[in-house]
Amino acid sequence: MAPLLRTALAAALLCAGCATPPSAPPTPMAARLADANVRAAAAVRAGDHAGAARRYEEALALARSVEDADAIAAGAINLSVVYQWLGRDSEARDALKIVLDDPRRAFPERRRLQAELRRAILELAAGNPAAAGEWAARAERRCERLACELAPVLLNIKSQIALEGGSPGSAALLAQQAADAARSRGDRAEQANALRNLGRARLAGGEHAAAIAALEQALAIDHSLADPRKIHADLVDLARAALAGGDRDAARGYLERAQAVSHAARDPRGADEMEVQLRPK
Amino acid sequence: MSEEFRPPTRFPRLALKVNAFLLIAVLLVAGFGWIVAHKQGWFVPQTMIRVITPDALGISSGMPVKLFGFTVGSVREMHLVPGGVDVQLAIMSAHMPRIPKGSRARFARESGVIGASVIEIIPGKPINGELYEGEQIEFERSRGISEIVEEFRRQAAPAFAELKNALSQVSRSGEDLGIILGALRVETEQLPATHKALRQFIRNADRATADISRQAGAALESAQRASESIERATPMLAGKLATTLDSVDVAVGQLRQTAAEAQETLRAARPMIDRSESTMRDASEVFSAAKRVWPLSDAFKETPDAMLPIDSFEARKAPAR
Repeated sequence: MAPLLRTALAAALLCAGCATPPSAPPTPMAARLADANVRAAAAVRAGDHAGAARRYEEALALARSVEDADAIAAGAINLSVVYQWLGRDSEARDALKIVLDDPRRAFPERRRLQAELRRAILELAAGNPAAAGEWAARAERRCERLACELAPVLLNIKSQIALEGGSPGSAALLAQQAADAARSRGDRAEQANALRNLGRARLAGGEHAAAIAALEQALAIDHSLADPRKIHADLVDLARAALAGGDRDAARGYLERAQAVSHAARDPRGADEMEVQLRPK
Repeated sequence: MSEEFRPPTRFPRLALKVNAFLLIAVLLVAGFGWIVAHKQGWFVPQTMIRVITPDALGISSGMPVKLFGFTVGSVREMHLVPGGVDVQLAIMSAHMPRIPKGSRARFARESGVIGASVIEIIPGKPINGELYEGEQIEFERSRGISEIVEEFRRQAAPAFAELKNALSQVSRSGEDLGIILGALRVETEQLPATHKALRQFIRNADRATADISRQAGAALESAQRASESIERATPMLAGKLATTLDSVDVAVGQLRQTAAEAQETLRAARPMIDRSESTMRDASEVFSAAKRVWPLSDAFKETPDAMLPIDSFEARKAPAR
């Protein structure tokens, strides 16, 4: 046998030795479910939230047809997110009820925790900090049992609840804890959220310079994440902090930047908010 | 005569010297003992933690316990308990904060399969809290040579089966290719005849068109010459018309033949299309199987959790709409 052929055979044997047995192919229903989720994610990336909602509804129906508890919960949570983006808050709550109001079905604890946090977020966004606090407390109890990967989210929500409740000191403490937890987990989005909350809490506490420092850090992270909504929020909060510190020029500069971001992202609501900010009080 | 007895003065102050010698010896022994105890870590505060292993093969008292390759303790003692062996690990208390709850221990060798045996600690997440004296952590055994060889054999078998299938597919495809080429050759041989028939058809059509033009010219001239020449011209026109009709008839025949040949060609090509479809399907299955085999499986891994992120930013109050 030629040496080249022997070498090739030996290499083939070595490669075959490294191979793992092929995993079981997905069932047709699982493939359809995965396909629906992939299409929904693509629609989200393309900014087609209505299309994403349709795809997630399809995924949820498929998951229900095979009684896949994990996929049902994932679909319901995804739907709640997209419905909130579409401004359909009551439907977002209804979607979460699938997970939260059915104690008999064996949803994974991780999904229940995600659903509770989503409910707290919805309540806080709707201006119900008391209800948000109840859901956050439920999530916190569950979070203690798990090695809580969503601790930064929970702490950020609690920080916002504290700020809404007029406790900037507690809010700043919670936001700092959230920033530390997010940093240790490498969760840059939540780290930026925590720094933004910290800046807002410092601003509410009258510490303008500290607020600007935290908000600038949040802005730097949000620039790297390239999320226009968050960049806009950072710039508006920076303008408030600069204005509160008496630096009207800096405040105007931040607001003009925020306006440019808002126009470029085609978000008229952001622009309207801006006009209100620019009006002299 | 009486002389007073005097003790010999050969070893003056002997007792003192003996005592000094004994004292030094005792001090040396104590110093040696202290050094040994220090080396053994008797003066280092230690925290005992436990692991339960199904068997203690390869584990012995005094075996080092390592964290990130650094010795942080040793195996203190082992005793049988229901369900396995309770192994007590003495960990230097200074290193305990680095071993939170949820940490795991495993039996390992320093250089992979060979090398000195150690107990390796794999630390858990710090958020779980500190581990306390007497608490138990999970233990996982590393694989032995026989298990590695067995897994190698188990993993290689399906790969060889896939390889065999792929080779047989290639072989079958080779046979199919021969048939396809044969059919193609037959069709190619018939192409000149088809081409010739088409050329004939076009020639006839040209001729018919020229005849019609000529007849039209003659008809115009005849019209100008008035009705007396109609009777003379009519038989000639009828003859030409008959020729034209014959030509058209021939052309239609040729067309029919060409259509039949085309149909035949399609019929002959049908198995080829079917086979290519089947080959494509087989190739797709082979490719799918290959995608699920390491090392390709890592490259084609599907996203396990298709979740949108839970983002606390969404909790901000939406601006008035």
